[in-house]
Amino acid sequence: MRIPVPEGGMSLFDWQPELFATFNMFYGVLWSEGTLDQATKEVGRIRNARVVDCGI
Amino acid sequence: MTWLAQTATGSTSLDEVYRLTPNVYDRFLALERGVWTSPALDPSMLEVARLRIAKLVGCSHELERRMPEALAAGLTEAKIAELAQWPSSPLYTARERMVLAFCESYVIDAHSVTDALCARLNEQFSPAELSALTIAIALFDAMARFRTALDA
Repeated sequence: MRIPVPEGGMSLFDWQPELFATFNMFYGVLWSEGTLDQATKEVGRIRNARVVDCGI
Repeated sequence: MTWLAQTATGSTSLDEVYRLTPNVYDRFLALERGVWTSPALDPSMLEVARLRIAKLVGCSHELERRMPEALAAGLTEAKIAELAQWPSSPLYTARERMVLAFCESYVIDAHSVTDALCARLNEQFSPAELSALTIAIALFDAMARFRTALDA
């Protein structure tokens, strides 16, 4: 673990719960609303992950 | 000027594009405000990170921008002018150099964020600071690419 997770937390972002909640509101709207269909968004997300080579 | 065939009403080129999806834009602005008002991060340090990322991506829109929080915190144009020389410039502190090294690895090749780099970051910053900093860098990188791709 490169950055320790706070006690009781699940990820490094639990060190900044308010900021992470704001990020999740933004990311959630990207997926739950908008004009693009979900399949198109998922193709973009997976392609981006492959280009970056993100195994997660 | 953006190449999009349709734009929204806005006071900036970013507004005109991003307001096409107002719900997303409102959440983005809240996230951006959260980054710049985070007590964990010095606005001056954030601004040099944002500008370095903009330079690496080649985003003229972000390079022209100045965040008032950073200027209020004492960041000068003289220091910004030396940003390309951050490894050797006496104007940059050890903490700022670590942030800029992190930014460069993140933007150029995220796999170059090595365990050794992370160990040095952990020496200079608390986990809470690194958490906020990573969110900030991700936001700056995304915006530089968004604005470059859409010319907005």
